Amino acid sequence: MIGTLVRWYDTMALLTMTGMKRHYETPAGTVRALDGIDLEIEEGERVILLGPSGSGKTTLLNCLSALDSPTDGEYIFQEKNVPRNHSEKMTSFRRDNIGYVFQFFNLLQDLTVMENILLIQELAGKKDTQRAEELLDLVGLGSEKGRFPGEISGGQQQRVAIARSIAKKPTLLLGDELTGNLDTETSQKVMEVLVEACAKENITAVFVTHDEALIQYATRVIRIDSGRIISDEQHDKSRPTELSEPTQDV
Amino acid sequence: MSSNLLNKRLARSLWGTKLRLVAVIGMIFVGVFAGITFGGYAANLEPMYDSIYDDSENGANLADIWVDNQSGIWTPEQVNAFCSGVRNAWPSDAAALDSCEGRMILKGNLFHTNDTGNHLIPSIWHGIPENADIDRNWFPEGHSEGRTAVGAEEVVMDAHVTDALGMSIGDRIEIGVGNGSFEFDIVGIAYHPLHIYIAPEGSLFPPLPGEYGIGYLSDLGMARMTGNEIGSSNNLMLDVEGTPSFDLPNTDEDEGDEIDGVKAIVSDSMEANSLDGRIRDRGQNDAVEFMRQDLDGAKKMATPFTVMIQAIAAITIALSLQRLVQSQAREIAILRTLGVPRTSLMTGYLLAPLAIGAFGCGLGVLAGPYGMNGMLDFYEELVGLPIIERSIPLELYGSVIGLTMFIVFVSGVFPAWKATRMEPLDVLGGHTDLRVGSNLLRTLTGWMPTRLGLSIRSSLRKPIRLSMTFLAVGISLMLAGSIQMMTVGLTDTIVGGLEEGQTWDFQVYTQPGGEEAIIEWAEERDAIHEAIIELPFGILQDSSGVDRTFTLIALQGYAEGQSMRNVEIISGDAPVQTSGPLQVMMDEGSLDMAGWAVGDTRTVDVAGTSTEIQITGSVRGEVARTMFFLQSDLSSIIGIEATAIYLQIPEGVEVDDSLANISTTIQDRQVLIEGITSLLEQQTQVLSTIMGLGILFTLAVMFNTMVMNIAERDFELATLRVLGASTAGLGSMLLFESVLIGLVGGLVGVLFAFGGAIGLAASFSTWQFYFPVVLVPSVAYQLMTIVLVIAIAMVPIGIWRLRNMDLVEKVKDLSQ
Repeated sequence: MIGTLVRWYDTMALLTMTGMKRHYETPAGTVRALDGIDLEIEEGERVILLGPSGSGKTTLLNCLSALDSPTDGEYIFQEKNVPRNHSEKMTSFRRDNIGYVFQFFNLLQDLTVMENILLIQELAGKKDTQRAEELLDLVGLGSEKGRFPGEISGGQQQRVAIARSIAKKPTLLLGDELTGNLDTETSQKVMEVLVEACAKENITAVFVTHDEALIQYATRVIRIDSGRIISDEQHDKSRPTELSEPTQDV
Repeated sequence: MSSNLLNKRLARSLWGTKLRLVAVIGMIFVGVFAGITFGGYAANLEPMYDSIYDDSENGANLADIWVDNQSGIWTPEQVNAFCSGVRNAWPSDAAALDSCEGRMILKGNLFHTNDTGNHLIPSIWHGIPENADIDRNWFPEGHSEGRTAVGAEEVVMDAHVTDALGMSIGDRIEIGVGNGSFEFDIVGIAYHPLHIYIAPEGSLFPPLPGEYGIGYLSDLGMARMTGNEIGSSNNLMLDVEGTPSFDLPNTDEDEGDEIDGVKAIVSDSMEANSLDGRIRDRGQNDAVEFMRQDLDGAKKMATPFTVMIQAIAAITIALSLQRLVQSQAREIAILRTLGVPRTSLMTGYLLAPLAIGAFGCGLGVLAGPYGMNGMLDFYEELVGLPIIERSIPLELYGSVIGLTMFIVFVSGVFPAWKATRMEPLDVLGGHTDLRVGSNLLRTLTGWMPTRLGLSIRSSLRKPIRLSMTFLAVGISLMLAGSIQMMTVGLTDTIVGGLEEGQTWDFQVYTQPGGEEAIIEWAEERDAIHEAIIELPFGILQDSSGVDRTFTLIALQGYAEGQSMRNVEIISGDAPVQTSGPLQVMMDEGSLDMAGWAVGDTRTVDVAGTSTEIQITGSVRGEVARTMFFLQSDLSSIIGIEATAIYLQIPEGVEVDDSLANISTTIQDRQVLIEGITSLLEQQTQVLSTIMGLGILFTLAVMFNTMVMNIAERDFELATLRVLGASTAGLGSMLLFESVLIGLVGGLVGVLFAFGGAIGLAASFSTWQFYFPVVLVPSVAYQLMTIVLVIAIAMVPIGIWRLRNMDLVEKVKDLSQ
């Protein structure tokens, strides 16, 4: 298939996107946010999506998480079609499979650090206080569990958000500019925590970022522009993946 | 940026919250509508009373003083001597005494025959001389017919009763007052100032149409019917030039300086002529005072109703605007960064409520006259009196609109101030979003499932807004529930007592000494009988030193089975015969308003005899102020054995003409209950409207709060949705919050309604008409259920919003 990447190692595919398109109709015409994405992600990979503003990377993340429904194309997750155009089924898919880390943490200010994690477990029907405590220890915040988000630093809040996002043992963890609101030093700490957590929990991760410095934490880097993948490389191999189609403007 | 553009921006933002905008305009509209309706109603009633009472060719010239002697009859000579005495003693520097007249007014029976058979209708008959100056018939043009009664066989029937009894001019009727029956020709249909509201004396409740008769004979006709000399009277009445001020029973002050002087002269003249009777001014005559207080009540209600409704609107406007400011924080910050001055921003936020208020006022002004006419039509139907001239004074429009615009303007001040106080750096830097949760709430809710804890903490996140919401709900329910609570309490005590506590079938009234014939009639038919005394001849001096009249009631005893009239003793004990002061009980209203208590020993005037009494108990269920004696005790003071006989008649026995001919009036208990029930049903219609209004407001307030709550929590709900929380899971959180707010709101509402009922009762209660306030559980549950149901009904709106949340857009917002 056109655009299919050459695989460097032989592992099982967690998800496969084929001919994925997401077009928006606007008064100014059709916007092709995704315009034929072919992508396969293996279990255990840590993928970083890079690209300029408006390149379609966030739209791709939204489609990956089933927040958004593609206009066309196929999306298989663990050998099953991912639901689309059905809010509750999409929510259910996210609940069972997806973890999400936001740029601005989005912790609930009225709940303590610990309660933020417990709430997600409770809503997913998997409340487990011991695991919540272990996760807080994992992100180095075991001693802060009784504090409110407003009482801890931004970096700490993001680490809580990471703990929260993996509390229900997601298969795939997604993050949109998750260090965009942090300084360099804090970003590094957060990413180290994230890498450690993903490794320990065997979680596949896909992150959108502008920050080239984060590449060091990825096993794979995909560059997007105008709704298409323009390069796809393993981080420990510097050779970019060749693409068969030219890039089009969005 | 010009102010116009800024205001346009704000207007567009407001337009984005159309539903809330409509609710707020609706509230203002209803407030103005209610203000004009009630104010217009009151404004039109006053001139109507003035025209009836007026001493002119068209008016009826209401007396200023009445003296009644229901235990005997004065001869024409006694009346003349009394009036001469008063004229001679009249001070030269006082307002002139226009008239002094005697009048015979008697209870009786109307023997009425119609399609359903022969009926004995309790009635009251006046003997009005042809040249009478005081308390004449009123013949309003277009609403009356014929002329006054002049001949010995002529009668004018009251316009309230002719329709129901199918009477018209030229008909012949048969009536009696315990001295056989007599026929009269109807020569007129008119009104009378003492029978504007046709409840019999001592009752608040008019009988059903056709169950009570009122007629006006000439003095010749009265003499023919009673067998007395022409000019014999049991009532004396005086008219003073102008209207001397009299004490208003519903105020603490004694306003009766002018009339007290007249009463002193009357009292002296009565003593000089050895006459015995009760002296009353307009404030002490229930028939007149009831209407004055009704008018006073209508005037009093107009402003609080308007203020209450506008207060709810103001709270809603303030909360909505504040939410708008909050949601526009970033926009405002950008405008401020671009150099827009605070005053320009503030102008818009101050003008917005004024524009909303002006629109609501406009609608209210257009609809107000219809509401007023509706109220006046209802009044005409209830009271049976035509209100011919109707208009709304310009000052009323001015005051209602002025008050409304002021309240509305004030509601916009705080949000406007808040908008201008925003610092661009704080908003754009995200500092305003940072807050620390409450440790107290964490401690209180930490043991709960996390989602319930979150629900409670989220609900209490804005304590001021929540308090304002509860305040608005409280005011709404005060509107909806207080009158209902007062009425249901009144109904429970009055009607409940009459229905369940009393076992008599008929109360047969008699002239003094006439009871033996009635008892004989009863014994011949195996009917159970009980002689009682019921006389409105008690006078006491309350703690402020004002003379108050009350009714004397004497029964055979107060233990169960001793009397056909069961009395509900709420504290103390029933009286017993002792050698010490006379033991009596008083109704709770008398004790409350006189400032007396069970156990007190007092001196009161019992039908002209100064008597020391000891109060042994307090009684509930009496609208009129009443003192309860043992029959033998009261009889020994006044020398009368009975004024009425209670009858419990066996099946198959019916009251007939033979009983009517030996009695003055026969009151059927069932008819009494039906009359009360009918009046309460009419009142319920008005109550339902007011209650519906209150519920509508509660709905609007709750809707506003819920929508704001959810809108404000878009952030956290979207986060949870992105993280996979199901609609059902989040819906259960919203449901819990709604139940919580509903329960607290309901409780607050009941407290407000109860407080309102106490306030209303205190405001309406006077010496004559005391309203006990009893918290009826069913009403409290009903109010709480209403709020709870409204709160829960808001959950689907939240769920709908959750389902339709554009998560892609939300994620964008969450990432910015």
